[in-house]
Amino acid sequence: MSWAQAILLARGASRGWGGICSTALTGAPFSQVPPQAPRGLRCSAAAHNPDSSLVPHPPEPPRRPVKALAVHEELFRPALDGARNKANFVRAVQNFTEYNVHKRGHVDFIYLALRKMREYGVERDLSVYNLLLDIFPKEVFRPRNIFHSIFLHYPRQQECGIAVLEQMENHGVMPNKETEFLLLQIFGRKSYPMLKLVRMKLWFTRFKNINPFPVPRDLPQDPVDLASLALRHMEPDLSARVTTYQMPLLKDSPDAMDPTETHIVGIQSPEQQSALARHDPARPIFVEGPFSLWLRDKCVYYHILRADLLPPEEREVEEIPEEWNIYYPMQLDLAYGRSSWDDYEFNIDEVEEGPVFAICVAGAHDQATLAKWIQGLQETNPALARIPVVFRLSGSSGELLPSSSELEEPPPPPPEGQEEDDSQQRQQQGQS
Amino acid sequence: MSGCGLFLCSVAARFCRAPAAFTVIRRPLLTSPPSRAFAKELFLGKIRKKEAFPFPEVSRDELNEINQFLGPVEKFFTEEVDSRKIDQEGKIPDETLEKLKSLGLFGMQVPEEYGGLGLSNTMYARLAEVIGLDASIAVTLAAHQSIGLKGIILAGSKEQKARYLPRLASGEHVAAFCLTEPASGSDAASIRTRATLSADKSHYVLNGSKVWVTNGGLANVFTVFAKTEVVDSDGSVKDKITAFIVERDFGGVTNGKAEDKMGIRGSNTCEVHFENTRVPVENVLGEVGGGFKVAVNILNSGRFSMGSVVAGMLKKLIEMTAEYACTRKQFNRNLSEFGLIQEKFALMAQKAYVIESMAYLTAAMLDAPGFPDCSIEAAMVKVFSSEGAWTCVSEALQILGGLGYMRDYPYERLLRDSRILLIFEGTNEILRMYIALTGLQHAGRILTARVKELKRGNVTTIMETVGQRLRDSLGRTVDLGLTGKLGVVHPSLADGAHKLEENVYYFGRSVETLLLRFGKTIVEEQLVLKRVANVLINLYGMTAVLSRASRSIRLGLRAHDHEVLLANIFCSEAYHQNLFILSQLDKHSPENLDDMVKKVSQQILEKRAYICTHPLDRTS
Repeated sequence: MSWAQAILLARGASRGWGGICSTALTGAPFSQVPPQAPRGLRCSAAAHNPDSSLVPHPPEPPRRPVKALAVHEELFRPALDGARNKANFVRAVQNFTEYNVHKRGHVDFIYLALRKMREYGVERDLSVYNLLLDIFPKEVFRPRNIFHSIFLHYPRQQECGIAVLEQMENHGVMPNKETEFLLLQIFGRKSYPMLKLVRMKLWFTRFKNINPFPVPRDLPQDPVDLASLALRHMEPDLSARVTTYQMPLLKDSPDAMDPTETHIVGIQSPEQQSALARHDPARPIFVEGPFSLWLRDKCVYYHILRADLLPPEEREVEEIPEEWNIYYPMQLDLAYGRSSWDDYEFNIDEVEEGPVFAICVAGAHDQATLAKWIQGLQETNPALARIPVVFRLSGSSGELLPSSSELEEPPPPPPEGQEEDDSQQRQQQGQS
Repeated sequence: MSGCGLFLCSVAARFCRAPAAFTVIRRPLLTSPPSRAFAKELFLGKIRKKEAFPFPEVSRDELNEINQFLGPVEKFFTEEVDSRKIDQEGKIPDETLEKLKSLGLFGMQVPEEYGGLGLSNTMYARLAEVIGLDASIAVTLAAHQSIGLKGIILAGSKEQKARYLPRLASGEHVAAFCLTEPASGSDAASIRTRATLSADKSHYVLNGSKVWVTNGGLANVFTVFAKTEVVDSDGSVKDKITAFIVERDFGGVTNGKAEDKMGIRGSNTCEVHFENTRVPVENVLGEVGGGFKVAVNILNSGRFSMGSVVAGMLKKLIEMTAEYACTRKQFNRNLSEFGLIQEKFALMAQKAYVIESMAYLTAAMLDAPGFPDCSIEAAMVKVFSSEGAWTCVSEALQILGGLGYMRDYPYERLLRDSRILLIFEGTNEILRMYIALTGLQHAGRILTARVKELKRGNVTTIMETVGQRLRDSLGRTVDLGLTGKLGVVHPSLADGAHKLEENVYYFGRSVETLLLRFGKTIVEEQLVLKRVANVLINLYGMTAVLSRASRSIRLGLRAHDHEVLLANIFCSEAYHQNLFILSQLDKHSPENLDDMVKKVSQQILEKRAYICTHPLDRTS
């Protein structure tokens, strides 16, 4: 009988109450119920709790038999000596399937592997996810009748399957046909992982290009390149020119810590340039910052050169010269304007801001560095020499990275606990 | 039109539509001089029959005279001018130019007292038909006299005329018009060329450079526009444009090498530089600081001749392609037997007929005594004829198939040559703005007066307005008196005339609505203005063909039945086009796609690229 076979196959692996269900429904003796049944029930309850994240934590690790975890950790241990790469990760997975013919403890192993993926740098590799799903025994957890599909059949296994898909989702990995086929084989059409897959397939395609300002997936490592990318990202005018006012010293050189020798990259559009040229020299302009800009998992700090908004009585009304267009009149001599029918101006309270003349990204946020930027700007904006510049720098950036030298370093791989924050952040920044 | 539009109309009506008597009383009080403006009245939904009907004629003597003169010119152009060679070598041979000068073609519109031919506009148009057979020569001559020396005729003093016109008329000197600069197309404020008055106030020192000067390499006399400092009435110093007559002999005048162009390759176009050129104060054209008006007048007066040039070219084109269509055999049948080919000939004939009618009607209006302001009409002729030329030449190429694409045949040259017509003398887009805005300004002035009257609470005005709107919405038949007992249009064209009347009437209504909707901000609504101009051009074309065909029937001219056919075809087509455009002008009509169009272009221009993903792209 198939149900009996299924239970036999899954015995080593399953700790869920699927067993209970199947046995209860088919009237099998209760002796087959695994001793961990209560925990399984609790686990499934946890799975329905939306607050709990499935990805990093296997449910209730403290109560897990320590031994089983240690065994799986062992599989990844040899790789620690060598390089942590895809080949070693795949080898570890293969070792598990090879030595564990009955796939005992495969759910634990998959949770462990999911956590290890980042270390091995395979968290965006679809084939690895498929490999993980392939660990599940096939045909065992498929619901066989309508009651199976109504009640959560093998909840622990299904949760584990969902956890794999969820991690894929967090890393923006789109499942393919193979994933679908595996899930079909493992859990069947009417299962929660399958539902998750269908939803992913629906929404991923729609959300993939939802960000109108896409950020490349792999950000440049060079701070100058990263700075110009960030500046281009902020500046809407395509005619704007990025200028590198100062290149950073090489990392190896002993002066690398000297904050005055960091990179200074700025951007300015022709319109900003002409606005600056028109600026009244009696009014000071301000260098403000640092403000933060997140590009995926990297934070860039920028400064702006701006002026205060002119008081309304001093603004020049742009008037149309009388003899301007040789070919047709630029204004009509009529006493009335647009009727309310065609007045598309909604009643919106708009906060007007002063003009921004330029933006820069520098390695250091002190006045000395920024003064160099202003000096560099003067070459293309001679008017700047006559305008007083006030530095309004907020003492510390108040952000995550307090010391300027650390900015140069690529951020260390975030600790596991931070992963959740990261993923939220990514969602805020928008996926590309 | 949608119900909403109707409602809008009736709202609009509350503010306008004074009794006719009121308008008559008010008009003399307006500042603009009483002008015979046919097109401007169309904006008010009225047809001034006297201007366009009956179709103008020239006297028998004049006709004989011009025909006598036309003979040798036509002979010269068909036998001696080698357009292909001119195009390939990019230069008009000297002997051809000499012959043109000896024929007097360099002084066609120069008054006889200054040694020119002193032709009227109508006669000039007739001659231009022949000259148009070679585009390079036509452009060279037009640059010389339509704009180059026109300034001297229009704004020059007696001394200036006596000094320059005789030599220009004989062709001893060639004239050129220098307005465009690298940074200044139609934007007069960005002209950089500057003329500074010398210390002894005897001359100006001119500095700057002009681009795309036709005849720049040949010319000895330039009409140059430059900024000068002018002391205003309130004592402030302002930069204003002044026109100068500059001789090459004044020194410091150099020109770049001739530009390599797509078409009209035989004409000479180059940059002209002025470096410390000393221009005597006597050579200021018009007033100091009055150069803007001079430029506007020259440009406005130069446009109408394009109509007859194009008409001449099209007539020749029809001959050539008909010859081919009637001899080329496919499937044992001549090309001329295929419907799709026949259709093209009908189109070409129709365009040629309309362009011809418009051109000569406008020329006659310009010839009327009292210096009438026909700049809208001239601009309409230019727009319609240039676009007609482009479509017809393209259709002709289609008739010829692969043959038309070959350099051995003249058709590709005609195509290249005709492309410039849409661009120079003001691009068609700019001229559409001019047509629409000038007319709207006129209508707006009168409308303002009506609004005042309505606000004063004139009961009769209000009652009349309401009554009229009610009748409109119940579907009234429009009768502006073109047909009927005292009608000016022949009964066989009554159908077309009714269509014209209906279009004119509802055009007037639309203009009122637009003015009430947008007021002076209509300047920014370019898509709306384009449509207004398109309707007006159609209306003018309809008037011209109806008038001309009526005359032909009454006089019993040869093939007048053919003319009736062409007139009816055009009137029907234009009528339906107008209906469509008028419905697009309605704010909420489904035909009005302006918002979408604007959005698409904004998105594209923001990214400066075509932004759709490739059809083969996938997301997964």
